[in-house]
Amino acid sequence: MSSLARPAPVDLADLPTFAAAFERWLASRPTSLNEAASPLPTTDARMDAMRRLMGDLSDEGWGRWGWPETSGGLGGTILHRAVMWEGLARHGVSSMAAFEHLEVLGPTLLAMGPPEFCAEVFPGFLDGSATWAQGFSEPDAGSDLASIRTRAVLDGDAYRITGRKIWTSWARFARWSLVLARTGTVESRHRGITAFIVDLRSPGVEVRSIAQANGHDELAEVSFDDVLVPADRLIGAIDGGWAVAMHILSSERGTFAWFRQCFLLHHLQAILQRGAPEADGLLGDAVLDLVSVGALSIDALRVHEHGAILGPRAAFTKLVLCAAEQGLFDWALASDPDVVLDPFDQQGLDLRAAYLFSRIVTVYGGSQQMQLDTVAKQILQLPA
Amino acid sequence: MTIVADADDLFLSTAQDALRSTDGDDALSALGWRDLLESLEEDAEARLGVLAFFRAQGRELGSSGALGELMAHPYAKLLGNEPAMRASIEGQSARRGSRAVLVGTPTRSGVLIDRPGHGVALVPLDRLELRPLGLSDGLALHEIETDLTDIPPSLSEAEAAPLRAQSVQLGRLALAHEILGAAESALAGAVQHARDRTQFGQPIAHFQAVRHLLASARVDAAAVAAVGHHSAEQYPALPPLRDAVLKALAGRNGRRICERSLQVLGAMGFTTEHEHHRFHSRVLVLDALLGTSSTLTHQIAVTLRASAGTVPELHQSVEALQSP
Repeated sequence: MSSLARPAPVDLADLPTFAAAFERWLASRPTSLNEAASPLPTTDARMDAMRRLMGDLSDEGWGRWGWPETSGGLGGTILHRAVMWEGLARHGVSSMAAFEHLEVLGPTLLAMGPPEFCAEVFPGFLDGSATWAQGFSEPDAGSDLASIRTRAVLDGDAYRITGRKIWTSWARFARWSLVLARTGTVESRHRGITAFIVDLRSPGVEVRSIAQANGHDELAEVSFDDVLVPADRLIGAIDGGWAVAMHILSSERGTFAWFRQCFLLHHLQAILQRGAPEADGLLGDAVLDLVSVGALSIDALRVHEHGAILGPRAAFTKLVLCAAEQGLFDWALASDPDVVLDPFDQQGLDLRAAYLFSRIVTVYGGSQQMQLDTVAKQILQLPA
Repeated sequence: MTIVADADDLFLSTAQDALRSTDGDDALSALGWRDLLESLEEDAEARLGVLAFFRAQGRELGSSGALGELMAHPYAKLLGNEPAMRASIEGQSARRGSRAVLVGTPTRSGVLIDRPGHGVALVPLDRLELRPLGLSDGLALHEIETDLTDIPPSLSEAEAAPLRAQSVQLGRLALAHEILGAAESALAGAVQHARDRTQFGQPIAHFQAVRHLLASARVDAAAVAAVGHHSAEQYPALPPLRDAVLKALAGRNGRRICERSLQVLGAMGFTTEHEHHRFHSRVLVLDALLGTSSTLTHQIAVTLRASAGTVPELHQSVEALQSP
């Protein structure tokens, strides 16, 4: 027997072992991590840097933990993903960019999507070569999602989709989009909606970026003009799109808060030295809300880990996340008016963009009013 | 499996039943609460039970010596397990300076007074001089006016200092749970009122302005419950500042819940005929103990800014992610 003992196999399925091993990788400061952690001037530059980082994370295996082996993953649970993104944020990565859709759409795709197709395309989502977008909102269907008008009509062995989606984050960079389209009558409301998988390179798809008030342009308007989609590219059943949407929103409003709060803590840490004593009250309040988001989203992660659905309780997490994000940037602005007057370097510009973005967090992914309606109706069970 | 913040519902409802049928100190005995207290450090379930009692006490506006007994717990080993209660030392009042406050009726062998710089004095029951404090919420609350000069210290300052921090941590956890309970009852009253009260020909619960007030209050309660539950799970390995964060959060959210509930109740909620004022008073009184929400919130910010750019206090550990 050799005197050189073989290293004991490392059990990365064990969460603390995974966390410690990933921490060592982060501490080695790979080039793609350094790039993604540096201030970047444009949405495109951020997306490029994040693609390279996700490629490395996938190659090294870190980015495949927490996803099933049947779809390019290495097993483990959502807690592996929670640990990975927490580490990335702590080491300076400022956002998930398009990869937020991994956490918003990924669990639903794998639970309700066609298994063979998902097995084929999901690895491209994980390594960043073929990301996804979420086609929900339309010009006349925002909070009232059940009134979408984009139509899908069966024609032989394919559907023809025509309509317009708006506020579709990261669509400009995406290969695939989940698209909610009407397969029933307009009167069928939420019962006549189906979730399709659309290749955004198909003829008839046009993606137009939207210049946002914070200087970024990850939002887009996506139009579909008689776009052919194979009839088996469905998530869930025909006319079963509402259940798909609810499944997605449970992630978007529940577990997603964990991933977002990691980046809020990153911002807090980055700007702590700019904090003015006069603004301490705002900082303290923001901390109370940030810790609340942490605790509520851990509950959400645990529910998800056990294969359950959070349901209306996701509204708690979403609402407290909004309060935390707005409170954090209220403090940043109160501490330093140069956030709006004179952000003299790229870090300052990033902070200004983040401040401005925080003003709209109570709108996207289900407005604050809708979340409060959910709590009133489904949790307090107030009569309507 | 404890996957959501109110998985300790069973103990909570049992404790509420006990508090409805008997006096707070008898309820502690009936529930075996002191046995749970003995396993506080080792057993997460016991800890959740110990703290759930306070939430129940808030919901039912009970009065017991549980806070003092919990705060005395860290001293028990050094003091030879002499059953006692610990007074909380309050330094908030600019007018009065530091004072020793006792929550509940003194029932044990004596009261520990642990003043920074002085160590611990054990005041026997027959030496206690008490002056009532507080609002009309049914809580026995007194300032201890006993002259301590001729009572020899039971523990020196060096012995007491590390125990004092643990004691305050436990006290803040307990107060946060009791504030949550009282605020939950205030909210339940407002929700019922919104269903029953008719204006413009319909229950006021139909109006979105009213629904959103109540829903916001419910969100505030969920936040306290979640942080409270996780803190109870993690104790004694709490992240730094966590006890201050939890107590400040409970105080801030608790007051907000009561204010929104009062707004829904209307003027009736401002009368002594209606029970709202008692829950609201309980929240205000408990917020004033062991650091008010505004003092603690400010302290948290100052501490963080002094930490030179690292905030390990806030990052959730891997251990926190895993169910205990």
